[in-house]
Amino acid sequence: MHEEQFNAMRQSIVDGAPEHASELASKALELGIAPLEAINKGFVPGLTHIGEQFRLGEVFLPDLVMAGEAMKAAVAVLEPEMQKRGTQREILGKVVLGTVKGDIHEIGKTLVSTLLSASGFQVFDLGVDVPVERFAEKAREVQADIVGVSALLTTTMQGQKSVVEALDRHGLRPKVKVIVGGAPVTRDWAEKIGADGYGQDAMAAVAIARSLLHK
Amino acid sequence: MNSVWARLTQEQCRQLHNASLEILERTGVRLFNDEALALVREAGAKVTDGNRVRFPARLVDQALSTAPKSVTLHDRMGRPVMPLEGANTFFGPGSDCLNIIDHRTGERRRPVLQDVVEATRVCDALKEMSFVMSMFLPADVPQDIADRYQFQAMLHNTIKPIVFVTYETAGCVDAIAMAEAVAGGADALRERPFVACYINVTTGLLHNADALEKLLFLAGAGLPALYIPVVSGGTTGPVTMAGGLALSNAGVLVGLVISQLKREGAPVVIPGFGGDALDLRTMVDPYCGPDPRGMAQALAHFYQLPMFSLGGASESKLVDQQASIEAALDMLINALCGGHIMHDCGYLESGLTGSLTQLAICNEVVSWIRHACQPVEISAETLALDVIDQVGPDGQFLKLPHTRRHMRERWYPILFDRDNYNGWLAKGGGRTLAERAAEQVSQILASHQCEPLGPAVAEAVRRIVLRAEAQLGREPLAPASGGSYA
Ligand code: B1M
Repeated sequence: MHEEQFNAMRQSIVDGAPEHASELASKALELGIAPLEAINKGFVPGLTHIGEQFRLGEVFLPDLVMAGEAMKAAVAVLEPEMQKRGTQREILGKVVLGTVKGDIHEIGKTLVSTLLSASGFQVFDLGVDVPVERFAEKAREVQADIVGVSALLTTTMQGQKSVVEALDRHGLRPKVKVIVGGAPVTRDWAEKIGADGYGQDAMAAVAIARSLLHK
Repeated sequence: MNSVWARLTQEQCRQLHNASLEILERTGVRLFNDEALALVREAGAKVTDGNRVRFPARLVDQALSTAPKSVTLHDRMGRPVMPLEGANTFFGPGSDCLNIIDHRTGERRRPVLQDVVEATRVCDALKEMSFVMSMFLPADVPQDIADRYQFQAMLHNTIKPIVFVTYETAGCVDAIAMAEAVAGGADALRERPFVACYINVTTGLLHNADALEKLLFLAGAGLPALYIPVVSGGTTGPVTMAGGLALSNAGVLVGLVISQLKREGAPVVIPGFGGDALDLRTMVDPYCGPDPRGMAQALAHFYQLPMFSLGGASESKLVDQQASIEAALDMLINALCGGHIMHDCGYLESGLTGSLTQLAICNEVVSWIRHACQPVEISAETLALDVIDQVGPDGQFLKLPHTRRHMRERWYPILFDRDNYNGWLAKGGGRTLAERAAEQVSQILASHQCEPLGPAVAEAVRRIVLRAEAQLGREPLAPASGGSYA
């Protein structure tokens, strides 16, 4: 049933075509396909495929990012119908993210932000040179599940520790998880400062964020 | 070198220049420094939204007309050794690697201050390394003032010009104070600068506070600043080379304008690299991709300004075939394009790891390149027609004075192997290039020592490091003693 339809949905994700994906989502509803089925049989396989292709070096980062955007567009169309039916779309969680005070390296942080968001997390990107307290305040404000702190300098790495401490002070831990990353950061360092996870690269950051939230 | 190979035509350079001007007039940049904002506002730039600045072209023209066309770096003894102009090329290492591959053991580990000392001594000894950078980030000193310890170590261990990096402006001020102590005062340093500060700028359109502060400080003091906005194609700029370069060059022009407004004639060195892109498959920032090579150099030659260029880096994780090939190609092409200060020899893993073995290999390659690019002398002596006639069809040239007179002009390798098979086995034990290079490093470290700093100067330098410690309210560590560098 609907094989052709599912294939087209899959392809819209692979092509990274948000408009086409949302059209196909509407069409699916017209055809009476259950929204969760549309997601799981149509769109998700596209995302899985492109993720694998990226790991193999066959597709480039912007392909991956646009696949995530197409996915979001499709889900946005299907969401109201899901709510009507009482079926839950998987919400992955809220992440507050930034490069720590004193550090202006933004590229790695932005990639992490983009991939988290493309994977279905809601990301609050605070930018670079972010004061320690700001991470805690924002986490409280948006009821974040995860705070992500990027640092590219051995000097500013210390700020990752301060963010962990600030979250402690604000009584936000252990509910709010902390992940850290950046060129000088290691797994040992993450453990030492009491962070919950470390990402060697942006893909790993997404994986660790998922696993911390058991998603 | 005689002349440079131009990757871009003059017309293309003009197009890029005009594109940068359009970016500055239409899009504008953000400046995160009040003094810089005041200077450009006063000069007629349009400031909106607090710090968004749009520049009229005439400000750029004005700056281009007063920025010095040539800057000469001196050595610690005050001799002019690096005239940055024309087709002159000078190679050296990079700075701040987070890891070192130990030439003795092959182990990849965190570097310590002693590694900075050793790197500096090796650069001082290697003939083709014309200047020094810190190469490693020492893990055994207080991290927030590691730059002071690096600079002190470099002052003690080389007489070659030093290109330095500091985190904040205070570090730059301290480095200059140390350099002045060595040169014998501010005027002496200005007249014969032997240090130059490498300033990184967020992007062409975002000029961070530290970068502007350092630029203004150095321009005010009349000291050379390397003002380098970095654009990473696909993320902080267009993925196309032209767009990326137009964007970073817009930032370069901003730096020129501000420095010249601060002090007309202040020496600025512009980038001889740009138009690079992030690797969109691995998310690594590559140092030696082929695509944009030569573009920024062509533009710097078009402006006739001194430039800070790249050469000798590799993305490899090891001192292996890839490392040699990438470094060699990169150095050759950048030399042909006429980059002036060419840094990053010895860099591996996109600037995250450094190796002295790799540095020694780079040194060998540079000497090869120098010979390959040297102007050729055609004269009676080199044409040797009399000698040819004297020998005639039946003789040979081995016994001629002419042969002995000129034979050493040819390139002879130090590291590259040219033995016959048994000679290679017998003399070197059949070793690889990397093994021979590591041995060269060990030999240098066992024997080479540069002219030391005088005791009074060493003490003055030490006091500046101690002051930085004290300002942070800490007890100084042992390495602040000049003696440990001897
Ligand atoms: C929350 O969870 C997570 C999880 C994973 C996370 C994560 C968070 N954050 C990152 N990740 C991970 O995922 C990302 C994607 O896979 C990865 O992110 P990365 O950021 O590592 O990777 C990016 C996608 C690509 N990589 C990058 O963008 C960084 C590349 C290198 C070359 C680099 C760049 C580009 C820059 N720099 Co800077 N820079 C270097 C870098 C050397 C290197 N190879 O790393 C490094 C980090 N820089 C260094 C230095 C010294 C400096 N830099 C400076 C400035 C700059 C630029 C502005 C020129 C520019 C940044 C431009 C920008 N707009 O972001 C200065 C500092 C400014 C400041 N206060 O922050 C300055 C101090 C130099 C100066 N004095 O001007 C060195 C660090 C030394 C140290 N003490 O640790 C350095 C290793 C280069 C070197 N060898 O000298 C992972 O780390």
